Amino acid sequence: MLEALWIVLLGMSIIFAVLGLLLGIMTVLSRLPEHDRDKKA
Amino acid sequence: MEITAGDILGFLSLTWQQAIMLVIGCLLIYLGIARKVEPVLLIPIGTGIILANIPLGDIAGQGGLFALLKEAGIDTELFPLLIFIGVGAMIDFGPFLEKPYTILLGAAAQFGIFGTFFLAYLLGDGWLGIMDFSLNDAASIGMIGSADGPTSIYVSTILGSKFTAAIVVAAYSYMALVPIIQPPIMKWLTTEKERKIRMPVTPGKISRRTRILFPIAAIIAVCLLAPKATPLIGFLMFGNLLRESGVVKQLSSAAQNEMANIVTILLGITVGGMMVAGDFLKLETILIFTIGIIAFAMDTAAGVILGKIMCFISKGKINPLIGAAGISAFPMSARVVQKVGLEADPHNHLLMYAAGANTAGQIASVVAGGVMLMLVPLFG
Repeated sequence: MLEALWIVLLGMSIIFAVLGLLLGIMTVLSRLPEHDRDKKA
Repeated sequence: MEITAGDILGFLSLTWQQAIMLVIGCLLIYLGIARKVEPVLLIPIGTGIILANIPLGDIAGQGGLFALLKEAGIDTELFPLLIFIGVGAMIDFGPFLEKPYTILLGAAAQFGIFGTFFLAYLLGDGWLGIMDFSLNDAASIGMIGSADGPTSIYVSTILGSKFTAAIVVAAYSYMALVPIIQPPIMKWLTTEKERKIRMPVTPGKISRRTRILFPIAAIIAVCLLAPKATPLIGFLMFGNLLRESGVVKQLSSAAQNEMANIVTILLGITVGGMMVAGDFLKLETILIFTIGIIAFAMDTAAGVILGKIMCFISKGKINPLIGAAGISAFPMSARVVQKVGLEADPHNHLLMYAAGANTAGQIASVVAGGVMLMLVPLFG
């Protein structure tokens, strides 16, 4: 059962780490200014 | 050579197990047509079950059409991955990009996968030994908690689970039952005051550049950290890139419509064809369906609990109900959150926030599938 416990703990940790990184990327992306062409549209 | 009537007439060879499967097939078709429960899937699955359990039909046996489809589309993981291109092309990540923090709710709601995996392994080879669940089977059963049919098929096929058909049907069935499963848990875990928290509707504008960069950034970031998720996240984001690029509308349309529809037909009927009486009617199947509902309950509870933590940290600005939308069942779960929010306060519109958490759940479930594929062989 110890292996299952490890999978649960590591699994949730990796998911939060990966999605946390994605959160950082998204935060940067969402602050990007609009492209000139987008503004015109 | 002596030929008896039983060798020619199917009904003379019909076993009681096959008769039960025929009833189950008819029931799924009935639910799809009369009750409109996931008709796109239940009608092909129900038909597949009926065809696979016709005695002497041999459609699911060695060399039969269903065996061929399974080999070509499921064993190679082709069908679920093609579906993901269509899903990616259909999803608007806008609400999610406007509220990036909702990705954490999507992450928390994947606890159902791991909690269910632990429970299944506990009942199986892990400790109690009541059921014939190996570590790989338990991980595949846990994927019911992804609330995501293609991911469940993909992971259980790669892990070689003998319960793939039951897992897929359980995942799709409970996705349809989200409006029944989630509300009691959401209400039980939140106070009336929390459910009444209003979140301002502020229509933001996400630039086209951001929308295009997001799928590319997601592929690179996620795949470098969790490479086993590459096929899943890659195809999902490829579909989204077709949509957001705006220059290949015909490809985006084909992915959303023609391709997704054709593959859904093939996937549904093939999954139904895998449900042959001898393999399906087992005690383990009933238990998988029971565990499946626990998976959805754990998903919902974990999302709401993180929502409550975020509510506390934000000093009451975040309504914890939106955490329940962190599961991948899109868009049912977001609608459930909106409905429960409106029950507490008829002017409380949570849909935009819930849609953000819901699309985050789609990404998170794919990542969870990749993480499961990465970890199980390490400990198996």
